[in-house]
Amino acid sequence: MAKVENSRFRKVGIGWKKVEPVALKPSLKKRLKGKPVFSVIILLFIVTGCLFAGQLANHDPGSFYLQNVNEAPNAEFYFGTDSLGRDIYSMIWYGGRVSISIGLMSMAIISVIGITYGCISGIANAKIDALMMRIAEMANSIPNLLVILLLMAVIGKQDAVTLSFVIGITGWFALARIVRSEVRQIRNSEYVLAARRMGVGFPRIMIRHLIPNFVSSIMFVVVSTISSSMSMESTLSFLGLGLPVDVISWGSMLSLANRALLLDTWWVIIIPGIFLLVTLNCITSLGNFYRKGNTKRHSNL
Amino acid sequence: MIENRKTQLLKKTGLRLLGFLFTMLILSIVVFCFARWAPGDPLQSFYGDAVESMTSEELGAARSRLGLDAPLHVQYAKWVTNALGGNFGLSLKYKKAAMDVVTPLIGNTLILGVTAYLLVFALATLLAVTCALHEDTWLDHIICKIGTGIYYLPPFWLGVVLVLIFSIHLRWFPSSGAYDIGKAGDILNRIRHMILPLIVMIVSHLWYYAYMIRNKLLDELRQDYVFLAKEKGLTKRQIVWRHCLRNVAPTIVSIMAISIPHVLSGTYIAESVFNYPGIGALSIESAKYHDYNLLMILVLIAGALVVLSSIAAQTINEIIDPRMKETGVSAWQR
Repeated sequence: MAKVENSRFRKVGIGWKKVEPVALKPSLKKRLKGKPVFSVIILLFIVTGCLFAGQLANHDPGSFYLQNVNEAPNAEFYFGTDSLGRDIYSMIWYGGRVSISIGLMSMAIISVIGITYGCISGIANAKIDALMMRIAEMANSIPNLLVILLLMAVIGKQDAVTLSFVIGITGWFALARIVRSEVRQIRNSEYVLAARRMGVGFPRIMIRHLIPNFVSSIMFVVVSTISSSMSMESTLSFLGLGLPVDVISWGSMLSLANRALLLDTWWVIIIPGIFLLVTLNCITSLGNFYRKGNTKRHSNL
Repeated sequence: MIENRKTQLLKKTGLRLLGFLFTMLILSIVVFCFARWAPGDPLQSFYGDAVESMTSEELGAARSRLGLDAPLHVQYAKWVTNALGGNFGLSLKYKKAAMDVVTPLIGNTLILGVTAYLLVFALATLLAVTCALHEDTWLDHIICKIGTGIYYLPPFWLGVVLVLIFSIHLRWFPSSGAYDIGKAGDILNRIRHMILPLIVMIVSHLWYYAYMIRNKLLDELRQDYVFLAKEKGLTKRQIVWRHCLRNVAPTIVSIMAISIPHVLSGTYIAESVFNYPGIGALSIESAKYHDYNLLMILVLIAGALVVLSSIAAQTINEIIDPRMKETGVSAWQR
């Protein structure tokens, strides 16, 4: 059929006007609505600060200014100095690097173990599944902190990598459980069955078919493991089982808190704590964004 | 029929107790292996610096006296036979029987832990009901926002800040210990010492459980029987308290069962921040000083506490919830 030329016809009709399709481009404000903008901005600020710690810091974070021990915040030491005479302002940025990377490393370990374990348990037959879940449950029934204490005491090495490893291998049970229940739901869908019949190996099924299908529902858990790991790091360092005082992190800065209490130097306690707290909250609200919304059915009440 | 249910319940509880023994066995093996493979020479912590001035014969004699030279399974068998008789070996740091170090402290921890546990769940339920009654109003939103913010306060930091404010500046509460010297029997004195640790434990656990219960309640409010109750002329409060909460109760009990290790971890932190003499602070201490005999018994006690109380919770759950009575399926298979 020949193409009808537009120009040959005259368009008629009452008040006919050519309608230009208006591009429905929502305003920036609308597009950002419901997204954790504020948290992302603050988080970016803190992360950038930590990345450029070398430029921001005005003192050497590791050196002891023995004439200026326990100084309150002033023009030279913006956040004051601690009981060893170190500059807290510079330590914040360097310490943030360690704290945040421990959070990320633990998250990576937890995700790898939790997802793999959950997928295997979800795909396997009922007996193996029950056994695997029973093991996870048993391991989870001992208080987390106690297991970490035991492991830290046994390993006896206190550095960032060991710490992330220990936090990682004790924190994956919840994730494994969620992954398993998600896998149980999709294990009998056509594409997984087809892939299995075609002889695709388990790792490939996991990466190509399973993970993309449940990644959105575990996103929240994965993101919040970053903040829980950072919190755990600081707790352990405070208790004297995490990083030693000379490895600077927000946690090890807070391990001086007990001494600071005796000396009544509030800035040693409050400032690193505020940074830690703000970061944890920003990460959490970022995680909450991935959380599936409640079914908005109307309440019967 | 009733008889039948009773025997069924007894049977199940018996099976669970067997499971408990099994768990303890595995736990003890794992902990024992860990403790023996650990670095940190036990001789060092037993004799202190005297080790450096000992000859190698003396060291060997000390080793065999402490039973450190036998193969692992022999050591384990010996340890188990001793442990069954209540002898868990010497605490290497305190140079006393480990059992004697631990026994006086269990009570302190239980008082703190149980009080916190009950308070957390009572308050969580109250908060959840408040949120559910005012769903999607400003009150609900504010509670949710504040709750999430507070939940991520690291508990130890909260504790330190509380000490800074209330003990050092305002001098309202003592900063450490379980009671003042010579006042072990004074209940008021104990309560004064417990307030700050309790605040820390409640704040750090409350919202997690309140939010869970709130969401369960909100699901429950979308059931059809709520319509009927409303048509009967019941008020919102009556519906939530009498009908919905009752249906959610088994869920709350299971949440309580799962939460025990979590709350116990909380007491560990609270105890060591406030120097409260309990098994939590002691565990951290013994981990720091590589005092494995002590650490082992502490891990076993914690494990036993957790498993036993979760058995209790499961049994209570079955008694109060008739819907659970004949399903033999464990929680994760449902």
